[in-house]
Amino acid sequence: MTTTGTSPRAKLKPQPAPAAEEFTLWGKTRDGVVKYGFVAVTVLLFGYFALTQSAFATSDSLFAMLKYASVTAILGLGMTFSMVVGGMDMSIGSQAGLAVQLAAMTMVFYNMTGVTAGIIVVLGGVLVGLANAVLIVYFRIPDLLATLAMMFVIQGVKLIPVSGQSVSAGMVLPDGSVAPGRFTEGFLQIDRGMVGPVPLPVVIMLVLAVFTWFFLSRTKWGRLMYAVGANPQAARLSGVRVGFYRGLAYVLTSLLASVGGLILVSRIGQGDVNAGSSSLLEAVAVALVGTSVLGANKPNAWGTLLGALLISIVLTGMTMMGFQYYYQDTAKGLVLLVALVFSYTMSRKRVRFTPAT
Amino acid sequence: MFTKRKMMAAGIVGFTMLSVTACSQGGGAATNNPNADSGQTIAATAAMPAPFNAGEVHVAIVQNTGQGDYFQQYLNGTKLQASALKMKLDVYDAQGDNATQATQLDQAIASGAKGIIVRHGYADTLCPGVNKALKAGIKVVIYDVEIQKCAPDAVQTQQSDAKMASLVLDQMATDIGKDAKVGYVNVLGIAPLDRRNLVWEQYKKDNNWSQKFFTGKFSSSTATDTAPMVYNALQANKDVVAIYAPYDELSKATLSALEQANMKSKVKVYGADISAADIELMRADGSPWVATGATDPNAIGAAVTRVLALDLAGELTTKNVEFPPILVTQQMLRDKNIKNMDDLRAAEPSLNISDTASAAWIPAIKF
Repeated sequence: MTTTGTSPRAKLKPQPAPAAEEFTLWGKTRDGVVKYGFVAVTVLLFGYFALTQSAFATSDSLFAMLKYASVTAILGLGMTFSMVVGGMDMSIGSQAGLAVQLAAMTMVFYNMTGVTAGIIVVLGGVLVGLANAVLIVYFRIPDLLATLAMMFVIQGVKLIPVSGQSVSAGMVLPDGSVAPGRFTEGFLQIDRGMVGPVPLPVVIMLVLAVFTWFFLSRTKWGRLMYAVGANPQAARLSGVRVGFYRGLAYVLTSLLASVGGLILVSRIGQGDVNAGSSSLLEAVAVALVGTSVLGANKPNAWGTLLGALLISIVLTGMTMMGFQYYYQDTAKGLVLLVALVFSYTMSRKRVRFTPAT
Repeated sequence: MFTKRKMMAAGIVGFTMLSVTACSQGGGAATNNPNADSGQTIAATAAMPAPFNAGEVHVAIVQNTGQGDYFQQYLNGTKLQASALKMKLDVYDAQGDNATQATQLDQAIASGAKGIIVRHGYADTLCPGVNKALKAGIKVVIYDVEIQKCAPDAVQTQQSDAKMASLVLDQMATDIGKDAKVGYVNVLGIAPLDRRNLVWEQYKKDNNWSQKFFTGKFSSSTATDTAPMVYNALQANKDVVAIYAPYDELSKATLSALEQANMKSKVKVYGADISAADIELMRADGSPWVATGATDPNAIGAAVTRVLALDLAGELTTKNVEFPPILVTQQMLRDKNIKNMDDLRAAEPSLNISDTASAAWIPAIKF
């Protein structure tokens, strides 16, 4: 790639009407930037870090980076479902936190197996998803508001049975007895296990990405979800059961949130009361970044995955270069802003995601 | 086609320049912080042993959170001592997120660091990573985590919380006597606060204090989140004469709740930790904060780094290192006109622990 002297400013020049510029060089160029810009930035940054930081591109470091991205990516994939139907699930982080608490309580308080804990977590997730769906579809509360209220409810409810304390093996229960159970070895393997050289959470992330892609792009349900998100009125008039698909999307979001929570709790090894609290914004960010990747301009599985990887690359590289966390937060914000510029400002396609419509 | 490429290149270069510019400013600002204590380096009197005699040694600190005065000073001490020892120090900061801390520990191991300091967090979360690191021949020094219950080979360091609590509670017992009504602001489940809690339970029993309330919340903004909880507890218990809040963010929360409840003159606050901001709060007119237990976080951050250096050089003879605290009272701050950490260090030389965990070859940092 040549770096000749065209100023980046050129992008800001007045734009002719879309129809007229369809076949001009400028129009094609802009399409190119929109479509591959993000991938190129990811590759460039990766190359830069790999060249300047000797420890960056080792296989250990790469797998650590993927593992780092896995929970964010899975929650982002969950968020992708609710964004596809034109909404957003504000309760996704607290749902992951709920999963952490449920799993810890099942094993530590009630001394049950890791498998039971997994089943309870998934059931809990589906229940919350159904609750969100009912609030949004039957009670007709706008998505953002319904899930925001849900977020507060879950954050509080999950702490009631544990009196606000983190659940750990051998803790003293409110009645004075000692908790009988502990995290089972098998359960801890969710995060710590390996498939060959690949950490298990990375495998789970990839499987879920394939599932999300297949569901959204290759099944009737997925396509109808996109239709609902693009224009609910038109979808309804064409005979699509809009309420069903919106509800289904929120249940799927919650399902993925609970899987993300399972990895989190297995990673922490305790029912950490604060787990998941930072996940909401990360999930939103990677799903939004994903919306702009490859010029899709709609929420999609591979985009979300790439968004999570990009953020993980930036954070790992910056840490190795010695930046403190506040610079990293700034970088995360800038990445998101650039993504938004790609999809809202520079793209000629209509953006298929506008929340609160 | 050519133009298309040019445009793309320009766009990408523009973006990259943006990030690079942001980066270089960041680096400069981080090293030139005028508020940071710069310390003095005590020159080494012996040659450095391996691996320090063969260039830069790569180490990392994996911290649970870096927010707040105490942790910033701690990191400052760590950085200064690391650079005096010619270490390359990577800083991983999980911002209070335990799952992130676990992955960052993995990243630190993968980064090829020869030594890792792990500061705060849950033992259950950190043990797999710590054991993995030890197995890979990486030296690991833990600060303020009960790590040895699941990683017995790790080096565990901490300030002596039992000592810190008993110094302050002795003062409290002298001030308010037996059978008094007291409040308690603490959060359990965090190693140092749990250790202070044990001492509190003992003093409460020995002095027959009646605990009217127990509240507190640990979050990314502990002081702000805890203040209303203490305020409400005070409304229901206007007869308490003293409150023990053994972490400076909790002490701050208690002060602002007392202020709001207009009870500053009736209730004494006993805290923990010290920083420039804390000194100011204790010295303020009519401040109810009468005593705190103190260590110098700068000095501890540096001392922990020296422990790691000794371990790397194969000269560490113990797996447990404790840093002793001192009692700081409001009276003493006023009498000796202590306004900041420098004054405090001058008045209380025992705060400086530059000879703890040191050796002739280590250029120790003194604050």
